[in-house]
Amino acid sequence: MTPVHFAFSSAFILGLTGLAFHRTHLLSALLCLEGMMLSLFIALSLWTLQLDSTNFSAAPMLLLAFSACEASAGLALLVATARTHGTDRLQSLNLLQC
Amino acid sequence: MNPYILATLLFGLGLGTTITFASSHWLLAWMGLEINTLAIIPLMAQHHHPRAVEATTKYFLTQATAAAMLLFASTTNAWLTGQWDIQQMSHPLPITLITLALALKIGLAPVHSWLPEVLQGLDLTTGLILSTWQKLAPFALLLQLQPANSTILIILGLTSTLVGGWGGLNQTQLRKILAYSSIAHLGWMILVLQFSPSLTLLTLLTYLIMTSSTFLVFKLNKSTNINMLATSWAKAPALTALTPLILLSLGGLPPLTGFMPKWLILQELAKQDLAPTATLAAMSALLSLYFYLRLSYAMALTMSPNNLTGMTPWRLQSSQLTLPLAISTMATLLLLPLTPAAVALLTL
Repeated sequence: MTPVHFAFSSAFILGLTGLAFHRTHLLSALLCLEGMMLSLFIALSLWTLQLDSTNFSAAPMLLLAFSACEASAGLALLVATARTHGTDRLQSLNLLQC
Repeated sequence: MNPYILATLLFGLGLGTTITFASSHWLLAWMGLEINTLAIIPLMAQHHHPRAVEATTKYFLTQATAAAMLLFASTTNAWLTGQWDIQQMSHPLPITLITLALALKIGLAPVHSWLPEVLQGLDLTTGLILSTWQKLAPFALLLQLQPANSTILIILGLTSTLVGGWGGLNQTQLRKILAYSSIAHLGWMILVLQFSPSLTLLTLLTYLIMTSSTFLVFKLNKSTNINMLATSWAKAPALTALTPLILLSLGGLPPLTGFMPKWLILQELAKQDLAPTATLAAMSALLSLYFYLRLSYAMALTMSPNNLTGMTPWRLQSSQLTLPLAISTMATLLLLPLTPAAVALLTL
């Protein structure tokens, strides 16, 4: 495993762990999601160096576009949650238990 | 909802699934899945009710995580094997990661806990789209994988059938019952994926038809829990007589359509020398059958003693289009004789 591969893999896994084990705020979950997307962006950007060709150069931009849309959808849902539940704390997301 | 926005969102849903169907590159498949997620988020949250918003937030978080894991697994595959083609994956680690990511996407056990709550927070139409259309794109990807480790799929499948059966036993809300039924059916689909992908496709299609019938029946009766089902005899008596058959088809009883996938899957598992697995799966179908029977009992085999108001509902003309319900009900009940044709047509 090359150092670059190790770097973005560990960044992604750290972000995923943060997303899976977030305990308090919805915003921290969204931040971890953004961190995961950023590590994937770096991975795709460095793929060009790995191949020594520029065929795939558009891929990081495509990923960035989609992850920006996803991030804005997440933030819109954060605002909606704050409007309906009053807070973004995850303990308050308990209306659907029964 | 504004009809232009509704049309755009439905178009986006169709586009996302179509892109994933048509893709041979993992990045394009990921983009199709993202478009699907983004298009259904406003549909789910359209009522701005706290339960709908909470369901949408939970759905968004799980689907975004699953999509990111999918892209990470395909990037790892690229770094390890040098290519991005979906059908040429050979390294076991990315294949396992992708299987887990897609399991989170569709709601297989043990990563199923979002599905009952999300389905509970939605209205029945959006719940129908979630249970049927949103399963197509991930399955298109799953059908193209050749898993190196056969154990993980069997574990996912058996866990899902057992969790789907046991979880649904204590529910009175119809949408949660349908969520657990969905988990159980997905378990059956995954069980046979590595031996015969065409059987997985057949199971998926019959599941889509049966679940559509059930959702449409509940929509017509405007009922969301078992007590509300009990007055459906006054609203639509003929449908109340047919619905137990639809539910028993979901449970997999012959001579209804739902028997077809279970029969063929058990036959395939027996051919692969997995008789204990087949036995366990067949036993777990009994658990699901129990709560389908409970629904049929509440609906058609008893008059409810719970009419505290003492009034049965008026039999008004319902403005709902009943053609989809009619077609899917007939397909749910009568397609078993077409088994040889179905098996011959769906060769992958």
